Amino acid sequence: MLRLNQMKVHTKYIAGLIVVIFFVLCPLFLNSERSYFIYFLYTTFIYITIAQGWNLIAGYTGQVSLGQHAFFGLGAYITAITWRAGLTGYFDPLAFLLSGTGALLLAAIVGVVLLSKLRDDYFSLGTLGIGEILRVAALNGGSFTEGAAGISLNSTAYKSMNHYYYTALFIMLFTLVVIVLLIRSRVGLALIAIREDETAASANGIPVLRYKILAFSIGAFVTGLCGSLNAYYIFHVHPPGVLSLNWVVIPVLMCILGGAGTFMGPILGAFVLSIAFELTSIWMPEIHPIFSGAFIVLVTLFMPSGIMYYITNHKSMIMRRLRLTVFKWMNQKA
Amino acid sequence: MNKNESQYSKKNNSKKDVTGDDIFQMKSITKRFGGLKALNDISFNLKKNEITGLIGPNGAGKSTLFNVATSIYKPDSGKIFLMGENITGKRPHQICWMGISRTFQLAKTFLSMTALENVLVGAIYGHKPRARNVRQHAMEVLELVGLETKSDIITSQMTLSDRRLLEVARALVSQPFIMLLDEPMAGLNPSEIKKMLHVIEKAHKERNVSILWVEHKVEAIFSLCNRIIVLEYGQKIAEGKPEEIAQNNNVIEAYLGKPSS
Repeated sequence: MLRLNQMKVHTKYIAGLIVVIFFVLCPLFLNSERSYFIYFLYTTFIYITIAQGWNLIAGYTGQVSLGQHAFFGLGAYITAITWRAGLTGYFDPLAFLLSGTGALLLAAIVGVVLLSKLRDDYFSLGTLGIGEILRVAALNGGSFTEGAAGISLNSTAYKSMNHYYYTALFIMLFTLVVIVLLIRSRVGLALIAIREDETAASANGIPVLRYKILAFSIGAFVTGLCGSLNAYYIFHVHPPGVLSLNWVVIPVLMCILGGAGTFMGPILGAFVLSIAFELTSIWMPEIHPIFSGAFIVLVTLFMPSGIMYYITNHKSMIMRRLRLTVFKWMNQKA
Repeated sequence: MNKNESQYSKKNNSKKDVTGDDIFQMKSITKRFGGLKALNDISFNLKKNEITGLIGPNGAGKSTLFNVATSIYKPDSGKIFLMGENITGKRPHQICWMGISRTFQLAKTFLSMTALENVLVGAIYGHKPRARNVRQHAMEVLELVGLETKSDIITSQMTLSDRRLLEVARALVSQPFIMLLDEPMAGLNPSEIKKMLHVIEKAHKERNVSILWVEHKVEAIFSLCNRIIVLEYGQKIAEGKPEEIAQNNNVIEAYLGKPSS
């Protein structure tokens, strides 16, 4: 039994490695400047990262934040402003670090206030306010943020799509590794305990606020990194773009669809939803949001806790049906 | 009893060098909810290695008292001492680190975790400095409450009885001086009650832990407690040995009403 389990874990790692190698090799076979597939993977990587960051605070710790777009936007603005000021350059690791850290600090400061005072829905509403505050601040920031027009960056610096693709891949892998290590450690145990029952968690010696802030800040850090990358990609940082609610709504949808509180959930959800969005926009460009919406409703209707939970709970049933179908098909042939 | 002594005694996990009998004191605790005085000037002591029962009709303030003792609520006035140290207003997790652990009336286990993981939470976080061999500690307490064969079962699939036992195990694993049990037998059948009684007795003997125990099952509490405190409408109306309490007129009135002369 033990050997079987070990083998299973082994195959999981090998499967993961194969997928990663596939992603790494993709640009070698495709023309990344023109390939739609490369662009699709690039955006999906970013969504996975943000979704996984949200998963840490909401899925595992149970604190539903709706402020991820604030961290994304802050990251983008920090990158744009430091580049404009000449403090950092194009694709500067320092800019990434500053953006991530800025988002992390914002989360920590906001977290001290919101996470200690607000519970459940009120925390969600409070975090929704962070994005709004940042948006208004950016609009009224004068020459510092250049208001509604936003900061235009030097787009002649553009080198190649591969830079973006590999950076997004790296940020995503970094996030996945950090989260898997956290969740399997003692910290993960504390986070899940807080989600399951906050009172019991603190009565058993878990400093609840500290761990909530930790999860919130780490989620913000990786989201800030994505914002930074986005600033380099768009070369234009303005409030409706980087502080759009899309940067929280879509990743949250992906995470819930895939299964919040599971490691594979956000990854699966991001791919499924991205594919659904892309396919519908190709086949029925005029009405594609309707179909995407209907798709989301259907999935949540039939898999209310997400695709991952459905798979783990119905593993034997799915396998049985598969076997049955294959069996019938073979009989027909015979 | 000075501060250092209490800290070291916990670190070495040898409770014998703790001097003085009163390890826990509540001094004139008052807690209001709006106009209602849930606790009105309550004072009592817990003695080392004693099982103290806390009884009273519904709404007497028993659970409020527990929540004040573990800092989930802050008292409006009064002070709480553990080993002579003022612990009023400390955070709940600090209270746990200092050596008071508890169970909840509505068994608050972490439902998505296995039994072992539940206990591991207490083993890892419940004790300062952090213990080593947490897994071994956890298995030991699971064995003590008789759940060692169910360690890999997800808690949401356990019976209420097992969840209550699991809570006791989780409270015990943080190596407390005092364990507060909030109606550990509520909703259990007679054979499960027997098992729980056995576990409480065993925990008390093997772990040298003082117990404050809220219960409605009066026969159970009278059989095991050294001392009983009775609350009614937020006030302490009696305190003493079980035999005395059973004879106490105030207590009889509180439970049965005044005799019509």
